[in-house]
Amino acid sequence: MPSVRPLVELHGADPDLVGVLSELFAAYRSGRPAPTHLVDLDRDLWAHLEELGLSRLTGSPERGGSGGTWADAAALLGIAAGAAAPVPLVEHDVLGGWLLEAAGLPDDGGLRTVCRPDPSGVALNVTWAREATHVVALWEDRDEWRVADVPLDHVALTERRNIAGEPSDTVEFDVDELEAGVVVSRAVGEQFHLRGALARSAQNVGAMERIVEIVLRHVAERTQFGRPIGRFQAVQHLVSDIASETALGRAATDAAVARASATNWTDPGMLFAVGVAKSCVGHGSSVVVRGAHQVLGAIGTTLEHELHTLTKPILARRSEYGSLHEWDETLTSLAVSAGHDRLWSLMTTGRAKPSSAQFPTRGGV
Amino acid sequence: MAARLLPPVPRELPALTELRLEVRAFLAEQVRDGVFVPHVDTWLTRWDRDFTRELARRGWLGMVIPEEYGGRGRTYLERFVVTEELLVAGAPVAAHWIAERQIGPSLLTYGTEEQKRTFLPAISRGELVFGIGMSEPDSGSDLASVRTRAERVDGGWRLTGTKVWTSGAHEADAFFALARTEPLDPVRRHDGLSQFIVDLRGPDVHIRPIVSMNGDHHFNEVHLDGVLVPDDRVLGRLGAGWVQVTSELAFERSGPERVLSTFPLLASAAQAMEDGRLPLDEGLGRLVARVAGLHQMSFAVSHALEAHEPADTAAAVVKVLGTTTEGDIADYVDGLTATGWVEDEELFTLLHAAILQRPGFTLRGGTNEILRGVIARGLGMR
Repeated sequence: MPSVRPLVELHGADPDLVGVLSELFAAYRSGRPAPTHLVDLDRDLWAHLEELGLSRLTGSPERGGSGGTWADAAALLGIAAGAAAPVPLVEHDVLGGWLLEAAGLPDDGGLRTVCRPDPSGVALNVTWAREATHVVALWEDRDEWRVADVPLDHVALTERRNIAGEPSDTVEFDVDELEAGVVVSRAVGEQFHLRGALARSAQNVGAMERIVEIVLRHVAERTQFGRPIGRFQAVQHLVSDIASETALGRAATDAAVARASATNWTDPGMLFAVGVAKSCVGHGSSVVVRGAHQVLGAIGTTLEHELHTLTKPILARRSEYGSLHEWDETLTSLAVSAGHDRLWSLMTTGRAKPSSAQFPTRGGV
Repeated sequence: MAARLLPPVPRELPALTELRLEVRAFLAEQVRDGVFVPHVDTWLTRWDRDFTRELARRGWLGMVIPEEYGGRGRTYLERFVVTEELLVAGAPVAAHWIAERQIGPSLLTYGTEEQKRTFLPAISRGELVFGIGMSEPDSGSDLASVRTRAERVDGGWRLTGTKVWTSGAHEADAFFALARTEPLDPVRRHDGLSQFIVDLRGPDVHIRPIVSMNGDHHFNEVHLDGVLVPDDRVLGRLGAGWVQVTSELAFERSGPERVLSTFPLLASAAQAMEDGRLPLDEGLGRLVARVAGLHQMSFAVSHALEAHEPADTAAAVVKVLGTTTEGDIADYVDGLTATGWVEDEELFTLLHAAILQRPGFTLRGGTNEILRGVIARGLGMR
């Protein structure tokens, strides 16, 4: 009997939005000044994104947001990262704005960043902190999770930068201020890490896709031994591997984003799906970053070239919201607890029971 | 420039998941009843005609063949999930594999009405087992160089030549043979090839085993010593063999069997870590992630092909990454096991089979070196 019920559904981003974003960020890329080794917030671009309603794409309309889905957000993050646009979309909208909304805290529109301070009130590597008006802190207080929207002039800030040259500051809070935060549900506390990890994967796979374009253009234009280097089989294989790993990262990320969009993050399989994306994109980025630098030759290692504006942020981002190692451990724990009979079920639904085999616990953001 | 190779990734809905669970429950019961012992690479190495017929009775064969030809008239996506479940369980599926994957669809596209009515119902019942004859002693990756020739005779064609690596020819009833009906034109090398439906039990067909390095017999040489093939057993158009063979390649390359050949070993390794027979190691999670990502990718390609959207390059990507990963699973588990330390008959049986089958993973159906060229072409590099 042929099925009458639908077998699949698609949860892609709004195609009109994708068209607008592609045009917007292509224009940004061609109009911006030469790359620098230190990267600061592009306030003009940010103001433009605010005007277009893209700085709060995922916010609910009643709070001044644009009501975008996670698929829309993932598209924006990927395209912006592909243009190496230095704007805090993840920090301000996807995480910060979401936490404020979950806590019922007012949103005055000022630029937010976000972090999870340790028990002493210190948060390391808070991206864009110095540029923000407030830092949204998610605070685990005994069995409760709290959200505090702390003005920047209430914290002690030490300026630091990550490997991409972006602000990645140390922020020290007054613990009393964190304890005065609004209690949010456990689900919010637990989802924060997952949302951060998936957002980083969406950014990285977008940057990897732009790298594939740069690589393809280079191998077509660069001539050695009398022909474009893309005619050499060895180079074709290198480029094929770069494109393949990027496609795998895209598949894993889009699958996780579709699951998040379809279930509004309530699916118990989100941990597995996000881990798969983080692992595939993370390991794939090693092949892509190394391969792209190999194909581009020495020119790709210079400050003036676009390549490092993509490869360096990829490396900075892939260790955020859990290192690659940590996510592989999480996936291993899920797989081991599923065991022989339920491993495949885990891989198709993301669900498993707790395991007795345990890795040692460790610290970190 | 086609930087984005991948078609959209669809989300599986309950109608498909319920089909999965139905197949899964049946397979678990078969294992419990001792009907089969789970193994790796079963789509090449495990023949069981009774099991194949049982799948047919349950509606899981001839799935994409229309009901008027004795099939089940279901979608490629439904077949996809059934295929995944069979491979994951390590079930003996080699007997029907080639017919289900490519013979049936090719007959539907290129076969005459009489051919469809003759072969498709028997394929759908699991009673007619097919192989495929493409490679030759001097034609591996370069398929256009095949030398098996078909000469025009009264009422048909006389085929002479040798096919090699023909999986299961010693068990199969018939195969599709690719042969030259016109001499090789060095300028248009792909022209002049035709496909024939050849009865492997007929006269002038001589089948000799090619024994693999583990002592198993899956491959064969098939000598066609002037085999008479009647006109009504020409498949499709004379001289269009190349187009006919390559048109189904995207399905052949992107299917779950390019990812899941060693899944039973991965599952056993996960269990061995849970039980403390293998060390807990995060490399497992990395491979699990890769297989899960490839599952999504393979599904996306299947969805695109069903909608007749181009996905040839993405299919090649699935095969390169998938076949590498299924081999890496064998190598990974091997690296975790200490000789003289772990006594685990089941794990070692799967492991050793996987290690010895591994070289074939990245060869069959187009070597990964050829496929990287296909991907490069899809990217506009050649």
